[in-house]
Amino acid sequence: MKISLSWLKQYIDLDISTSELVDTLNNIGLMVDDWEENENDTILDIETYANRPDTLGHLGVARELAVALGRPLKEQSWPLIELNEKTSDLINIKILDEDLCPRYCGIIVRGVHVGPSPYWLREKIKAIGLSPINNVVDVTNYVLFSTAQPIHAFDLDKLTGRKIIVCKAKKSESLISLEGDTLALSSDMLVIADEVKPVALAGVIGGQETSVSNETQDVFIESAYFDPVSVRKTSKKLGIKTEASYRFERGADESFPPQAALMAASILTQMGGKATKGILDIYSEPRKPKTIVLRNHRVAGLLGLEIQEEFIEETLSKLGFQIERTQKGVWQVKSPPFRVDVEREADLIEEIVRFYGYDKIPAKLPPFETLEPALSPKRKAFHKLRQILFHYGFDEVVNFSFVNEEKEAKLQSGRKPIEVRNPVSSKASILRTTLIGGLLENISWNLNRGAEGVHVFETGNVYFWQNDSCTEQCMLALATTGRVGTAHWQSRNEETDFFRLKGACEAFMNYLRYDPYIFREEDHTYFEPGHSLSLHFKGEPVGFMGLVRRDILDSYSIEDEVWAAEFKLEMLLEKQAKKFQYRPVTRFPGISRDISFIASQEVTYQKIKAAVEKCSIPYLNQFYIYDRFSGPSIPKGKVSLSLRFVFCHPQRTLLAEEVDALQERIIKTLKAEFNFQLREGGKIDK
Amino acid sequence: MKELKNKIEKYKTQFNREITLIQDKKGLQELRNLFLSRKKGYVSLLFEDFKTLKPEERPEAGKIINELKEYVQTKLQVLQEEFSTAKKVEKTYDLTLPGKDVYLGSPHPIVHFQQEIEQIFLTMGFAIEEGPEIETDYYNFEALNFPQHHPARDDWDTLYIKDDLLLRTHTSPVQIRVMEKKKPPIRIIIPGKVFRKETPDPTHLPMFFQVEGLVIDVGITFAHLKGTLEYFLKALFNENIKIRFRPSFFPFTEPSAEVDIECTVCDGKNEDCRVCGGSGWIEILGAGMVDPQVLKNVNIDPEKHSGFAFGMGIDRTAMFAFQISDMRNFYENDLRFIRQVLRK
Repeated sequence: MKISLSWLKQYIDLDISTSELVDTLNNIGLMVDDWEENENDTILDIETYANRPDTLGHLGVARELAVALGRPLKEQSWPLIELNEKTSDLINIKILDEDLCPRYCGIIVRGVHVGPSPYWLREKIKAIGLSPINNVVDVTNYVLFSTAQPIHAFDLDKLTGRKIIVCKAKKSESLISLEGDTLALSSDMLVIADEVKPVALAGVIGGQETSVSNETQDVFIESAYFDPVSVRKTSKKLGIKTEASYRFERGADESFPPQAALMAASILTQMGGKATKGILDIYSEPRKPKTIVLRNHRVAGLLGLEIQEEFIEETLSKLGFQIERTQKGVWQVKSPPFRVDVEREADLIEEIVRFYGYDKIPAKLPPFETLEPALSPKRKAFHKLRQILFHYGFDEVVNFSFVNEEKEAKLQSGRKPIEVRNPVSSKASILRTTLIGGLLENISWNLNRGAEGVHVFETGNVYFWQNDSCTEQCMLALATTGRVGTAHWQSRNEETDFFRLKGACEAFMNYLRYDPYIFREEDHTYFEPGHSLSLHFKGEPVGFMGLVRRDILDSYSIEDEVWAAEFKLEMLLEKQAKKFQYRPVTRFPGISRDISFIASQEVTYQKIKAAVEKCSIPYLNQFYIYDRFSGPSIPKGKVSLSLRFVFCHPQRTLLAEEVDALQERIIKTLKAEFNFQLREGGKIDK
Repeated sequence: MKELKNKIEKYKTQFNREITLIQDKKGLQELRNLFLSRKKGYVSLLFEDFKTLKPEERPEAGKIINELKEYVQTKLQVLQEEFSTAKKVEKTYDLTLPGKDVYLGSPHPIVHFQQEIEQIFLTMGFAIEEGPEIETDYYNFEALNFPQHHPARDDWDTLYIKDDLLLRTHTSPVQIRVMEKKKPPIRIIIPGKVFRKETPDPTHLPMFFQVEGLVIDVGITFAHLKGTLEYFLKALFNENIKIRFRPSFFPFTEPSAEVDIECTVCDGKNEDCRVCGGSGWIEILGAGMVDPQVLKNVNIDPEKHSGFAFGMGIDRTAMFAFQISDMRNFYENDLRFIRQVLRK
């Protein structure tokens, strides 16, 4: 909110420098975001808080400064030039809904010459960034920005029957606002009506028909208190936010309406009008201030700092609180009516420390107690997983959770997307159901900027409807395309492929000790048919990997091949890893045997592996494939496979003859099962 | 006997031929094995023959076999030494060429910075908690002392899914979830994504990261809040950084504070400083003593327990720490940007 220094000076003497003033305000929580100095004034931009409607006017800011600087507030007087007519002779005010309008005051100023405001008033209005309109409107604004009490001026002659009725609107009633918009009213909205129709939306905006114009002679000034929730609901429903509604919805000062009405009338009579006698004040149940008990030991208990009782008493009473000591270290406190935010002991403690100074509170570390293990196994596993992926050359990315509905649909994640009701943009209207889309965006972005290859992963939630509830699930996704790193003088940087991706996945499964896991050839909507694997961990499917479908890549304008994978990370991390347990290392040397076969291309490595494992060959310590090729030297439809078998006995050296026999068993099994042809010597015929 | 002599002669000739062909230590070892291997070496085989000789022939036979053995051993020894003496290694490569570069992946700057923050709190005995990103109105607002129709809600522009379902606007709802589950003492931080209805610009995004802290125990005071945050900010930035606490407002804390650190870019000396706007201070954290109403909402007696809470935008702080002027950089995922975290 804009605060003019010269305006403030009407309430308090300020002979301090601007920077001193700014520091003082900041220290008591009135944050000065910015300030501007011009020839005859300084304008401060002060941050406003939802709980401090009292500071939404110059008077409120001056009140705070007076306490902080230990200075008195200047007295204000508002003399009236009065008529003999009583206000109640000219207008009749009736409140039909006292819950939403507990207090309504009015006064009439007759013979107002509507026209430009005097210079001093125009300057004030301009200082806070508004444009002067006419003297009546400028006066209402002046009162609002002075005291934070919104007031409204009606053209008395246009109030049919000279009646003011505060009531809820009737269904299908409407009102043309000051700004010329036709507002459709509903029966929960509080309005100000005359004898026949609504003339203003209570606390929000006035009506055009009864507004002050150049022809206006007599002005009826409204100064009331409206229920914050009611004003807020109406303002939200109609989408109208005004300086008045902003203050009423935060809570106005219920004691203040008569003074604001008097102030407005006084200024208008100085401009030639004459006021009716007596302010009409409908206020049947004055609010009684709540008593708050304040205990000195709680002040110290909450702040970690002893504050002298004199300081507490003095500060609170200067701030307008009634404070009464009932016993040593205990007070009964009543808040002033403008402090709607102070209702509890903690609120009072904040008031005390605001003026005592946050900088005087000592800094101590909380007493240390050992709690539960700080890093959960799940988090530890997560950190390790990331390290492994970094090791494999995958960069970590973070994408927005919002995605384009059309693009997301192409991916066919099979998860029902959640729509954001009020999205930031129509291109980000749903929550992502897969991480793959984001990674493809990243690939496209980076390739377009000259990257030779992109290898990325992301961890984060996907969101979807499951039955009738919103579900979020933490996923891990990877994608890889193009070359890895830059060329080195010893070797060209290699082109990525499926096995780079699979290797990274196998690595985190192995290094996180997730056992047992298995891959299956299985199709998935993200991938080209026949080009994807599913991963199963402890019998449950946890994800897929494969070659991303051409038409998907086209929609991201990616020409290169992309391999990608997506896993249910939360499911992985929540499962028990296999515990580390030491197995004795044999002291006896192993014997390895290499066997080469010609096999049909149809025979997968996984099948071979399963067949060998099924044989339960004794002393077979490990086996792996170390070569696979096809070419002119190999019959069509066949491949050459070279397997290495390592045998080891825990207690002795194996004899060559023993190993010969085991090797023979393996060869026999593989020949029988897969119709393999042995390639003698393991050498490739040329 | 004669047969033996012939054999020895033949072996010796073979040895003399083969030793000239030896190129390296491997060849040397092979030749040694051929002659001296305990089981199948030629010398051992000669001793097998020796056993078949008549007793009177044995002394001479033994002598000539041993002569061969010594001859072989000596020659091999000489060669062995020849191989072992340091020869000047020929230099065939340019040592100034770059070394092998292993391509490592890089952490994302935000996640990286988040982990630095976590690390500091872990050393202070904080545990890490998480919570859902899709929240109910109750956890996001109501339980945190935002009444249904309170204007304080306007400061947290909310993205809604349904009337009662929204994308959390802060990590604070996790405070409530943890306090509902656990009795004090509680000492946690809650990092995570939060969402606001914001049109993207250099300092605002509809999604960003926050870290929240909560300590609840008997006798926790504002002084402990100050001590904790001062320790944290000094560890995160530097030991000498200036820190300022000033009054503020949050519905879920009372008293509330805003924490500023001095602008290390201009030291408060540049009126047009891009980072601090000339004030010399940067708003970095919101904090305060947990509001008694919040404690009551989770059945913790505010007369018995007290606590503090704080919250910080990770992106905003990272922008300051790394001198990044546009927050959107974090989510473009340009690898030239991301990989700067990893290496120079």
